[in-house]
Order: sequence, then C-alpha cells, then structure tokens
Amino acid sequence: MPRPTHPLLVAVSLAIASSLHAQNAASPDLSDPEVAHVAVTANSIDIDMAKFAQTRTTNGAVKQFAATMITDHTAVNEQAAALAKKLGVTPADNAVSQSLEDGAKQARAALEPLHGKAFDRAYIDREVAYHQAVLDAIDKLLIPTTENADLRQLLTAVRPAVATHLEHAKHLRIELGGTPRASK
Amino acid sequence: MIVWLFLLLGFGRVPQTHTVEIRGMEFHPAALTAAVGDTVVWINRDIVPHTATAKGSAGWDTGSLVASQSGRYVVRHNGVLHYACTFHPTMHGTLTVR
Ligand SMILES: [Cu+2]
Repeated sequence: MPRPTHPLLVAVSLAIASSLHAQNAASPDLSDPEVAHVAVTANSIDIDMAKFAQTRTTNGAVKQFAATMITDHTAVNEQAAALAKKLGVTPADNAVSQSLEDGAKQARAALEPLHGKAFDRAYIDREVAYHQAVLDAIDKLLIPTTENADLRQLLTAVRPAVATHLEHAKHLRIELGGTPRASK
Repeated sequence: MIVWLFLLLGFGRVPQTHTVEIRGMEFHPAALTAAVGDTVVWINRDIVPHTATAKGSAGWDTGSLVASQSGRYVVRHNGVLHYACTFHPTMHGTLTVR
C-alpha cells in the first residue's frame, strides 16, 4: 500500500489495516449494521464539508463541485436508509466510523482559518484525499466484509460515483494551481 | 415507383427513438448517430442525478434527471453535437446527426 500522507488517510488506513488484521486473526470483522453505519457516516461527512465550503468559497467551479457532493451523497444516503429499513438493519457505530468522524473534525479545523484561493485549494486537496480514502475503504474493507447481497450491490453501485468525484476533484485541483498537498 | 423514390430520397423515413442509458457515471452508448426528426431518450439508471446538456447554444438540456427518470430531445440540426453532464464534468457524449 502506498504510504498515506494525509491525516485522514492515515486514520482510515489504520482502521482498514486493523480490520484486515482482525480478519487474518479470524476475529469477527465489520458486521453489516457497522458497514451501513460507515457508509452513512462517510456520506454525511462529505455533505457537511460541502455545505461549509459553499458558505466560504467564491469560486464558481468549487461551488458547483460542492453542490454535486451535496446532491450525490444525499442521494446515496437516501438509498442506504431505504435499504437499511427494508432489511431491518439499524446502522451500528464502530471504530471505522469514529476514525472518519475524527478525521472530519481535524479537516474542518484546518480549513476554518482559510479564505479565498487558499481555502479552495485546501478544500479540494481534502476532497481528493477523502474520496481516495473512501474508494480504498469500499474496495478493501466494505465490499469484502459485507455479507448481505443488497448492501454489497449498493456499495458496488456507489463506487463509480466516488471514483468520478475523485477525478472531478483532481481536475479542479489542477485548475486551482499551486502545489497539491496530498499528491499521490 | 414514387414511393420507392421517396424512400430513396429519405422522405419516407420513419423517425426513430434512440435510448442512451446513464449508468456507472457514463453514457451508454457515449457516441450515438441519429437523423433529424429522431428522438433521443436519456434514462438515468444511477442512484445520483445527472443531466445530458449540449455544449454551445444550439442544443438541449435535459435538466436534472434523478434515478429512473428520463429526458428527451427531438433532433433538429445536422452535425456533431457534444454534450456533458453539468454535475459531473468527466461525463461526456456525442450525438452525430446526418
Ligand atoms: Cu452526472
């Protein structure tokens, strides 16, 4: 695995690594209610960050990106909620969700003092890193550990959207100039 | 004989409907060929909303298509028309009209 440089990547990678380690030790991995909780948390974090970005940025392309993040991650969470209801699953908090929340708090604190171009660059840097981390989590943790076929299907359906957001963020980051922070 | 001539000249052509499926954050097919008078239908098979929006002024915009929703355009002009999703700039398609 390439060495992550972003705190959030580190947090998610650690959570993934410990879970994979647990798998190797034949301990129980994430349950389906926990996978559902991770999915909903991951979406909600990006929605909240986008809402914050919309209050801060004056760049049209960044505003449009944030609007897409709100729309898409809201649509995914609605699907996740509908599926959880259908399956009678109550999402359960867990270490991976908590590491995501902690990473989000740190990211928000880092963005708080920034304005203008510095804010736009830092926000989009963060979105690149975040979507990469979520993509890794989907591939290495969530899909492999999900036992329910419907939940796995939802995760599989969501994956291309996350990959597209990552590409969108990368393009946008180049347009914003300067040196990307998490360039990998 | 006259009917045959009309068909040969294209006057008797019945307008067709072409369907472009939007799934996995892509247009399928991404390149479509149609004739003036044909209808193109875009149907969104994804969870997230998309649009099919022509670039330039002489075009169309389906507006936001939520999951399972479709939008249509009756082809009016010859040429190669490029379109994209306004929400996801990485999504592109072309409509060739002849
Ligand atoms: Cu789209």
